[in-house]
Amino acid sequence: MPKLTIDGKAVEAAKGATLLEAAQQLGVYIPRYCYHPKLSVSGNCRMCLVEVEKTSKLVTACSTEAAEGMSVRTDSEKVKAARRDVLEFLLINHPLDCPICDQAGECGLQDYYMEYSLKKSRFPQGDKVTRQKRRALGPHLVLDNERCVLCTRCVRFCSEVTKTSELEVMERADHSFIDLKEGKSLDNDYSLNIADLCPVGAWTSRDFRFKSRVWFLKKTPTVCLGCATGCLIEAHHNENTVYRLVPRPNAETNTWLCDRGRMTYKAVQAGDRLAKGVIKNGLIDLEPALREAATRIDEQHAAAAVLGSPWLSIEDNAALARLAAEALKTENFCFDFSAEQGIKDGILVNKDPAPNTAGAGLVKAACGGLSLEEFSRRIADKRIKVVITEARAAAFIKDALKASGARLIVFAVNRAEIPPEAYATLPYASYFETPGTFVNYQGLKRRAEPAVEAKEGVKPLWAVVNKLAVYSGTSLRLDSAEDALKGINFR
Amino acid sequence: MILNMESILLKDNVECLEGYFAAGGYKPLKKALALKPSEVTDEVKKSNLRGRGGAGFPTGLKWSFIPKDAPGPRYLVCNADEGEPGTFKDRELLLKNPHALIEGMAIAGYAIGAAHGYIYIRGEFAAEAALLERAVADARAKGFIGRNILGSGFNFELFVHRGAGAYICGEETALLESLEGFKGQPRLKPPFPAVKGLFGSPTVINNVETLAAVPSIIEKGGDWYAAIGAGKSAGTKLFCVSGPVNKPGVYELPLGVPFRTFLENNCGGLKAGKKLKAVIPGGSSTPVLTAAEALAVNLDYESLAAAGSMLGSGAVIIIDESQCMVKLLQVLARFYHHESCGQCTPCREGCGWIEKLLNRLEDGRGTVKDLDTLYSVAEAMLGRTICPLADAMAMPVMSFVKKFRSEFEAHAAGKCCPPDAAGEH
Repeated sequence: MPKLTIDGKAVEAAKGATLLEAAQQLGVYIPRYCYHPKLSVSGNCRMCLVEVEKTSKLVTACSTEAAEGMSVRTDSEKVKAARRDVLEFLLINHPLDCPICDQAGECGLQDYYMEYSLKKSRFPQGDKVTRQKRRALGPHLVLDNERCVLCTRCVRFCSEVTKTSELEVMERADHSFIDLKEGKSLDNDYSLNIADLCPVGAWTSRDFRFKSRVWFLKKTPTVCLGCATGCLIEAHHNENTVYRLVPRPNAETNTWLCDRGRMTYKAVQAGDRLAKGVIKNGLIDLEPALREAATRIDEQHAAAAVLGSPWLSIEDNAALARLAAEALKTENFCFDFSAEQGIKDGILVNKDPAPNTAGAGLVKAACGGLSLEEFSRRIADKRIKVVITEARAAAFIKDALKASGARLIVFAVNRAEIPPEAYATLPYASYFETPGTFVNYQGLKRRAEPAVEAKEGVKPLWAVVNKLAVYSGTSLRLDSAEDALKGINFR
Repeated sequence: MILNMESILLKDNVECLEGYFAAGGYKPLKKALALKPSEVTDEVKKSNLRGRGGAGFPTGLKWSFIPKDAPGPRYLVCNADEGEPGTFKDRELLLKNPHALIEGMAIAGYAIGAAHGYIYIRGEFAAEAALLERAVADARAKGFIGRNILGSGFNFELFVHRGAGAYICGEETALLESLEGFKGQPRLKPPFPAVKGLFGSPTVINNVETLAAVPSIIEKGGDWYAAIGAGKSAGTKLFCVSGPVNKPGVYELPLGVPFRTFLENNCGGLKAGKKLKAVIPGGSSTPVLTAAEALAVNLDYESLAAAGSMLGSGAVIIIDESQCMVKLLQVLARFYHHESCGQCTPCREGCGWIEKLLNRLEDGRGTVKDLDTLYSVAEAMLGRTICPLADAMAMPVMSFVKKFRSEFEAHAAGKCCPPDAAGEH
């Protein structure tokens, strides 16, 4: 554990730590472009040059190991001059097209220029090296080579993280540019991380670009519900519209986010978003839809059943459990979902596509209920004649439903989710609009936080359940998601 | 100091194995194989032999950096990627005395415990590579390389690998990248090649001339070699002279010879009517000396460093009064801009900027402000990159501008070149 000083402050660095990491420990920020904690050290941008006592040349903080007794300065005139010089070099051939650049506002060149340079350009505009602009590469990205600072984060990401090695630096000197390797296309499952990694406007997301200036965006920390991995994310939104999802790097689960996960926000704003109920393909207002659903349930009072869902939060599953126990007073309920879990691609994507299999398991542990097998058998035997569940969970009992013709009442966010067997569909608020607790494959509880508001009339699932119970003649007294958990004894 | 000594490297009639053998060749190898590897290294340390590629690092010390107990293979690599403008001394050795290199490599391989050696030869040296391949084949046929060399139990295989034309591959870690099949780009150091070099294994990289000196050192002893030359600049050095002298070419001299003596005695002086203006003493990347500075300097590591330049590769470029310094620097800038690997920001962007500034000045579009910019751009590159290519651009720029500022100012004022330089363009 080497002890050293950085800008006069003493620090004991971890063995093998670099100067950049040791400085971070002290809260001393060293500017960087090519350095990324999860990629190999490249040392090419030269932005992190610092002064080490008794060393004649400046050294790169990203690659120099902290050593006992070192005295490091990150704020000397020599260091400041080096930063100004590097920024000047990076900007001479940069197109300075910030007004039409989607990175503006979160650009490493803009930010560092304001922080470390403010030097007037000495380079004639007409002498700039020109390169190819806005080239669509792969389904998700656009590359502007003129804005590139050649930090090679994108190249290293593709070779070290996805191990697909699509990218390469072509040519030499100031003619260098990023390009696809021959015969490759940039369509790996994590390609959008490149837009995040790129410190400048070279790589931008085809989905996000020109949709919103970043300074208008509000950021809500939440969790990705794309699979059981449960990556921590941030939803970026403005005026009740979500514009993008980005990873919230954490030691437990994720540094990155997969492309499919990034697109999960789309369903919330999709054209087939349900704001009304559906009875046999016909749209109908929520209240009559609830009434109709409640009537069908009452018809079969003794033979009504509730199936939880690994796509729903713990609170909403708990609300369903209470619907079964307190309103329907039936033993025909099931929270028995098992799925093979674990990372299937060596990076983030889980074998279990549902975000809350483990959370549903907690409800099962607390409330009991039938096994999925027994539940299905009772449907097939026509002991269960009406099933209330979430749209995607209906797939678990698809065969039994087909065999018995039992009525299916589902909760759905989008029309596309509704299974063909559904008799009635009740809309509910997505987890971008309402909070919920999920348990990922590691057993970690993660909270979805609302980033936007649901359309008028669209309620959280627990609230829809509450109403359904009222129409069936029972009050569950649910005023919040947390209320659903009351009376359930979680072990 | 021995001035009229017998040559160590450049000899007659040693091009082929028979001639080399007749002159006592491959006896040093036999002698070395009878010693302990550490004794071979000690002898080279004692000789004060220093790297002849340009940096002048003590060779024996470099060999001793190979970790003693590292598992796995070690490699010896010969840097024959001679590409520095003005430098053509390794080519001469490859053509005239290839077996000195091969024998030197076998000895060095034995000293560091390498079973494989690579000669990375400049891509443009097609004929030289073919000759070298033949020399290696001849040496292999006689058992000087290959398995169980001279019955010693030591195995050493040697491969000739041709580069693909990039100057940067003369930088030792870029050379390793290229040898491994990747784009030639220098690696971050540390780790140094002695710890993690070719294919991730401990590796020694030496210049052709360095390795070719090894057999003589083993034959006659480190003390003998150390006595040649001037102090810490031991032994002989090849100097390749270009420019308007009567006898340009490659000369082997003990280190420490005064430049004035070398110019007059070896090079036959300047051509009639030419007046010395400047000298680049060690290849195009080394700082330029004015005529007065050059005429006062001795050709060895210390003297040239004291004069503010470097011995470098020993490529002496003679510049006479009819040459335009701006034009010369423009030519150099074009070269370094073309050859910058593009990895580090200051070199990638700076080399191009410098060339553009020099184009402006040379074309008569430049201003005094451009001249100041030129100098400050070079300063901003110096010592701030992974490898010394940025320095190789910055050092000539700074020294040219500092020492010949009036010529640059004349260009900035619209008067292009010295009057008698007009014809040289």
